[in-house]
Amino acid sequence: MSNPLTRLALRSTLAGVVVATLVPGSGAQTAARKTAFSPARLSDRKTPDFRGIWQVHDTAYVNIEGHPAEKGIAAGKSIIADPPDGKIPYKPEALSQRQENYRTRATADPSGKCYQAGVPRAMYLPTPLQILQSPGNFAIVYQENHAFRVFHPDTRPHFDSTDWWMGDTRYRWEGDILVADVAAITDQAWLDQAGNFHSTEVHIVERYRLIGPDALEYEARVEDPVVYSRPWTLRTVLYRVKQPGMRIIEDECLEDATGVRHHISPYDPRNLLKSDYSRSKKPAQE
Amino acid sequence: MKVLRAHHGRSTLPAIICVLLSLPGAGPGAAQTTETSPKAPRSALLRLPDGHPDLQGLWMKSDGGFQGLFVGSLDGTNFAAPGRGRGDGRGVVGPTYEYTPAAEAERKDRVRRGYEDPEARCHLPGVPRALDQPGGLYPVQIIQDEKYVALLHEAMHDVRIIPTDNSKHPPNYWAWDGDSRGRWEGDTLLVDVSNFNGRTWLDMAGNFVDENEHVVERFTLIDLDTILYEASISDPTVFVKPVQMRFTLKRVPAEQQILEYSCLEGERSLQHYTEEDGGRKRRAR
Repeated sequence: MSNPLTRLALRSTLAGVVVATLVPGSGAQTAARKTAFSPARLSDRKTPDFRGIWQVHDTAYVNIEGHPAEKGIAAGKSIIADPPDGKIPYKPEALSQRQENYRTRATADPSGKCYQAGVPRAMYLPTPLQILQSPGNFAIVYQENHAFRVFHPDTRPHFDSTDWWMGDTRYRWEGDILVADVAAITDQAWLDQAGNFHSTEVHIVERYRLIGPDALEYEARVEDPVVYSRPWTLRTVLYRVKQPGMRIIEDECLEDATGVRHHISPYDPRNLLKSDYSRSKKPAQE
Repeated sequence: MKVLRAHHGRSTLPAIICVLLSLPGAGPGAAQTTETSPKAPRSALLRLPDGHPDLQGLWMKSDGGFQGLFVGSLDGTNFAAPGRGRGDGRGVVGPTYEYTPAAEAERKDRVRRGYEDPEARCHLPGVPRALDQPGGLYPVQIIQDEKYVALLHEAMHDVRIIPTDNSKHPPNYWAWDGDSRGRWEGDTLLVDVSNFNGRTWLDMAGNFVDENEHVVERFTLIDLDTILYEASISDPTVFVKPVQMRFTLKRVPAEQQILEYSCLEGERSLQHYTEEDGGRKRRAR
């Protein structure tokens, strides 16, 4: 954080190089992983239709690496597809930071303070997200802390003059796969509850691919020369939430007297859901 | 810090808007003259395949005050005061609030307790405050299909995904933004908003509602680059008669984009709230 201008210049250069070197490789990968499934189309009869409410079925939000069961949490397999050992290839000095984050996670996790989750963390939270889409538009609304990302076409460069919690997203279509390039993410965001982290130099290439009418494969290639010894890739699947009447509900946090923030539910009338004014004027209705 | 960063991040935008507004034939004056004929010819509007007007794009409130407080106050001018900026007789209606006696006492008390404004603590602004943000400051991105119109507000990263199927409000649901249900009435999107939790304020000047708030909003695309927004806010336990609000949203130039507004992640607003506007510098807790 000491010299933002230098940092910015460095990142812009890096991002340029990364994009340039990535393109041929990812194209080959696309061809290799093509399947027979052809998604539904939007009204333009061309753009794949990703609309809907989606959620993962795993516990990667606890730890994207493999993790044992804890009270109330099922054990989970690593969602890291590369490297093959399923571990984040931290540089030695960064690994000690991760251990420190893990030790202090109960208070240090930014998500516990009701901050926006960051990318890719927001994609595998235990809460739903909704993809909004129309020809030429693509956005994701996350239920958690009502965060959202508007995807911008990659015809213009990143808006990276500062660091955002949810990054700056530029996308393009490779056939039926949406490929998004995400940069300018703050180093205050974590990757999961276990304290896995990145620096402000992180650069993420996401690939969104429908592998069935109700299954959305999500892949994120994470590169950060400050923290990791090599780029690595996580892959998971989001499933369509088919519960009748399903909607993204409001998720807002209230601070208690000690400054700790709590998610409040719009379904709980006891939980401060009546105004102080009306409480003093007449009996609560519920 | 994050709030300040977000502002700096789009520092060119207000400048560009200013330039645009100063061009002959553009700006609030031009927008308001069109309001004498609120229905543009059907052919003039962009439409989606379902036949409804295409409200999509990035929009910004073009006129009006700073949530009842002040705008351009460096020289003491309050553009938000009645007759200035939002109520200049050219079609923009500034809200007039008529409170019940008990609610009026509460409002006066809230003027004193301005630091308790929930938006100062980064809470969701509610309706219509989400749109009634300072003119020319925070845009809203609209994405629309045949089932919903979604409003993605930069301010407070507030989101409303409004189904346009005229469905019913759910039982047992109380939210900062309430519950929005829309339907098309000709070329106007009509949104009925209910199920509020009663905690939001309408502005920074103590105007408020409780959980009996009920809002009917009307979004009308009056030309390619202008949405006329009208809201009627009723609340039988607070207002003697419904409060009317009316202003326009202008399309933001295509080279601009919505930015992130991270408020909770380091909010600094609270320190600017004093016990009384311009009064004693009592800092919030």
